[in-house]
Amino acid sequence: MIQNESTMRSVIENNDLALWRGADGVARAWENRCPHRGMRLSYGIVRKNRLTCLYHGWTFNGEGRCDKIPAHPNLDPPTTIGAKVYKCVEVGGLLWVAHTENSSEPPVINGSWIPCRSLHFTKKIALSNLIARMDADPLNAHAQYLNPPDGAKMLLAVQPMGKRGTMLHLTLHAEATREDHLRASRWLIAHRLTTEIIA
Amino acid sequence: MKLYDYVLSGNCFKVRLFLKFLDVTCDLEPVDFFPGCEHKSPTFLQVNPLGQLPVLEDGNLRLYDSQAILIYLARKYDSSGQWYPVNDPETLGRVAQWTAFADGITATSSAARLHDVLGYNLDIKAARAGAQTLFRVLEDHLAHQEFNDQHWLAGSQPTIADIACFPYTALAGDGGIETFIFPAIERWLCRFSMLPGFHNMPGMNYFT
Repeated sequence: MIQNESTMRSVIENNDLALWRGADGVARAWENRCPHRGMRLSYGIVRKNRLTCLYHGWTFNGEGRCDKIPAHPNLDPPTTIGAKVYKCVEVGGLLWVAHTENSSEPPVINGSWIPCRSLHFTKKIALSNLIARMDADPLNAHAQYLNPPDGAKMLLAVQPMGKRGTMLHLTLHAEATREDHLRASRWLIAHRLTTEIIA
Repeated sequence: MKLYDYVLSGNCFKVRLFLKFLDVTCDLEPVDFFPGCEHKSPTFLQVNPLGQLPVLEDGNLRLYDSQAILIYLARKYDSSGQWYPVNDPETLGRVAQWTAFADGITATSSAARLHDVLGYNLDIKAARAGAQTLFRVLEDHLAHQEFNDQHWLAGSQPTIADIACFPYTALAGDGGIETFIFPAIERWLCRFSMLPGFHNMPGMNYFT
């Protein structure tokens, strides 16, 4: 869940990411490192559709190109200065980031999906060893639909974070009520309890 | 009114910030917590026998414990009753619960920060693990509050419980505890930083 004109930090495998959204509503995923001094860009400030590094104010447009260096106000920065930009796309209420050249395409997910929870698990978790105890339809290696016996259809996605464990993202179909969201959240919390106790 | 204060203390920051929210002026008496360890000096132990900051003096009253000071300031200077809602028993109970929860955050997240920033000798693994456990509870609570359009710890309005829990959650990174894995906490920190009168203390980077 990234608000307009804000940043957040995330990690895929052991790659640190700055996720941010401009006033245009477009989500971006960049390497979390300013090309100037290595500051995390997730500390940065978003104004309209540009991200400014908190450290020395280097400012990047939505495509990652640096277009302003405050210490050199009259300089038109070289086009080679830029943030490392990852391909990303929003599908199913989730942001899918291609952090390597050979990352697979995100699955096709129809309809409108609302984020419910993003829950941190200390362990490495693969979808295949999730003990879902409910009817599941796999979408790809990272996501599956879950059909709970009661309540709205859910979408569960796995974000491997290397040494930091795993984030599990749960989104619900737009028709879901707040009771559905609460029930789904409680299910995921209970599920984490079981998963982390079992070796 | 006088506050015995240390600029890097999250507990002192709670009081400084609340005074700002209430638009109440107060003299600051800086105490050389580090490296002078003045809070453990015989002179200061007469002010607070626990040797802890902050301490507030107002008229004949001398009060230690940051949470106690927040309660006092709210009852004395907040005529709206928003920050410490004594006329709403349920909300007041929740305020007390989450204010007590803040002591746990201090015992873990603040301890980890004292270890990493000021070199205190303590069990850093236990401190970080303890903070992690509490932040999970906080994260689940805040996420469930959002489902009910309640954006604060005790309900639909910020209270002294939010002030009590804020600093050592916002400063967790100083103690090597990453909070980006707790997105509902991050959203709450950001909301808190947008309250009128909010200002950063060293180690915080909230800019609107």
